[in-house]
Amino acid sequence: MIQRLLPFLTLIALFAGLSLATPHFLTVVNLAAVIRQTAVINIIALGMTMVIIAGGIDLSVGSIMALCGLLGAMTVGQGQPILVGLAVGLLTGVACGLVNGLLVTKLRINPFIVTLGTLGIYRGVCLIISGGLPIQNMPKGFAFLGEGAILHIPFVLYVLFACAAGVHMLLEHTRMGRYAFAIGSNAEAAFYAGIPVSFHVTAIYAAGGLLTGLAGMVETSRLMTGQPTAGQGYELQAIAAVVIGGGSLRGGEGSVVGTLIGAYIMGLLSNGSDLLGISPYLQQAIIGAVIILAVVLDELRKRRMAA
Amino acid sequence: MQKRFGGVVALRDGNLEVRRGEVHLLLGENGAGKSTLMRILAGMQQPDAGTLEWQGRPVSFANPAESQHAGVAMVHQESLLAPHLTVAENIYLGREPAAPFGLVHRRRTLEDARRLIEQHHFPLQADWVVQRLGPAGRQLVEILRAIAHGSSLLIFDEPTSSLSDAESREVFRIVRAMRDRGTSIIYITHRMEELRELGDRVTVLRDGETVFTAGMGETTTADLIRHMVGRPLEAVYQREPLPPGAEMLRVDGLERRGVLRGISLKLHAGEVVGLAGLIGAGRTELCRAIFGIDPIDAGSIWVKGHPVRIRSPRDAVRAGMALIPEDRQKNGLAVGLPVAQNMLLASLERVSSFGFLNHAKEHDVVSAQAARLNLKSSSPRQIAGKLSGGNQQKVVIGRWLARGASIFLFDEPARGIDIGAKIEVFRLMDELARGGAAVLMVSSELQELLQVADRILVMRQGRIAAELPGRTTQEEILRHAALNGGPEQVQ
Repeated sequence: MIQRLLPFLTLIALFAGLSLATPHFLTVVNLAAVIRQTAVINIIALGMTMVIIAGGIDLSVGSIMALCGLLGAMTVGQGQPILVGLAVGLLTGVACGLVNGLLVTKLRINPFIVTLGTLGIYRGVCLIISGGLPIQNMPKGFAFLGEGAILHIPFVLYVLFACAAGVHMLLEHTRMGRYAFAIGSNAEAAFYAGIPVSFHVTAIYAAGGLLTGLAGMVETSRLMTGQPTAGQGYELQAIAAVVIGGGSLRGGEGSVVGTLIGAYIMGLLSNGSDLLGISPYLQQAIIGAVIILAVVLDELRKRRMAA
Repeated sequence: MQKRFGGVVALRDGNLEVRRGEVHLLLGENGAGKSTLMRILAGMQQPDAGTLEWQGRPVSFANPAESQHAGVAMVHQESLLAPHLTVAENIYLGREPAAPFGLVHRRRTLEDARRLIEQHHFPLQADWVVQRLGPAGRQLVEILRAIAHGSSLLIFDEPTSSLSDAESREVFRIVRAMRDRGTSIIYITHRMEELRELGDRVTVLRDGETVFTAGMGETTTADLIRHMVGRPLEAVYQREPLPPGAEMLRVDGLERRGVLRGISLKLHAGEVVGLAGLIGAGRTELCRAIFGIDPIDAGSIWVKGHPVRIRSPRDAVRAGMALIPEDRQKNGLAVGLPVAQNMLLASLERVSSFGFLNHAKEHDVVSAQAARLNLKSSSPRQIAGKLSGGNQQKVVIGRWLARGASIFLFDEPARGIDIGAKIEVFRLMDELARGGAAVLMVSSELQELLQVADRILVMRQGRIAAELPGRTTQEEILRHAALNGGPEQVQ
């Protein structure tokens, strides 16, 4: 039981440790900054959780995010209402996820390969439509999504929690979530049981795309810039969050709570290192080591349970 | 020998003595401790207590390499071969004939393997890729590997559980030939009819204890069954057929190029129909085609008198069909998920509204089915992969009971499950038929078919070659199954 709680305890320990180690950590300003900085990755990681549970993987999220942010920014920049821009961003995410899902299910190509390919394609589209230049002329009100606050709490935290609640609901309390676990655990058995596997897999990639699109809009709003090069490397951070939180790349395992804990462990490590003056070069190595350590501990726990 | 895993005692008092040049049968229900005992012998696990003597000397095997070095080899139930390598490469895996500079002598590997295969008259080619072999061929490769290692004790873990009768006889021939050359053989099996043909002596394990050891001549099959289950059991289960009711399933002129040719059959309510045939005759393929897994080229399928188009398992399930597949782990269960989720997989619509699950309803359905099936699991949350074979099979069956299916296709339902569970499964099939369902049962064990089926369809080379009454004989079934069939190809 204690081992199962290990990621959570690690997060608490990290939080407590940083509070003691530096006076700059436990301040409203710093915590709000952590929340804002990690929100984008965390929202993407929620989508990634679904995809990984269903036995897939999406390496193209960074590019999807950039494309959504870019198109959303262009829409808002041309004077359309903010909500229309938001809708464009989200729908772009859904469309990109749908394409990934269809390629995986219809052509039966390994998702790693499919999304490695679309990672390049979506990024290329970003660069082509923007000419490689950032888009900036957005109305002030658009900043609220990424930088606004309600009751002194960053607005993105509400957004993140709403997304987390939605994904948790979907995974644990709906048919689709149940099917996602079954497909990830044994797609063939799910097919034999009469489940429309292709449909659900495609839908899950699309749902992941929706969240990635939202993340793209948050990022754009935070920076007030549509960056065609945004989000590079985010896919690995999102996958890391899922895996630290107990998700299995073999599919069939993972949870929203675990992913959030995983994401915040990485967020605190990075923030703490900054505050403590640890070199950003070393930070990368630390986070890498934590990923491996988390998976090793989780594997050991599972093996002990199996014995 | 003693061995425990966490709180579970796998082996309480395991004793076994094997003599030179004998076939020693090891019997016991699933979970009796046979596999644990064998894994200790093979160096894959360490005992908590107990002693091991090898050729008169106390030994302990810290790992498989040590055990193999001493001369112990294990032919596994699930093949442990490298599928992308050739037969020859697999035989010599780990001890390749060496060439200078750490290179591998490919030509000699191939030649050595060829010679070995010829010596034993195996229907194999040294340069075949293992991936393309069926289960029988793979087992032959494992046997060759053991021979090539010069092993003096060979452990067979249910070698024939995935083989047809003809293939099994081939394995028996090989086992006897090896014994006659002085090799000792430990042979684990569930198939009672194999016993008489094969064993010199027998040991029975029950609940981790050795309860019986004797020469085969001094005991009867009924005795052995009694020792295995620990309670008297009707030696033979025999279903009482009932008059068939309305037509449930009709298949008309079903074709699948190269696999199924002009298949027509009918199943009626209350019937259990057997489907016999050799491996490769098309029995599993017929089930897959009816159930919409493989597309059909021609023919029609009728359910309760209405034509239905079945293009996927989903269509089949909606038409009221259920398939209990041959390979539970691969096609039947999500082994990493809990019992409850596996059992509800086909009927989530019934426990949800607008896509949202009603957990109370889920619980009710699962506990009702678990009770009906006499399922032995610690809780509905237990991981399905940790159940015994028999209980895993019950979970798959429970999935279709929960769904309320009325046409059941059982593909080798009793494979790899112990006698107690086997009879429970047969009873359940009978109960389903009595409740108005139609049951089709594929089996490679003729004895099973004779016990359970009201009539028996025999397939040969993709066709239905004969329809026989339930009270036929094994010889009659075999005659139709093998007629003009020629010797079976392993590949």
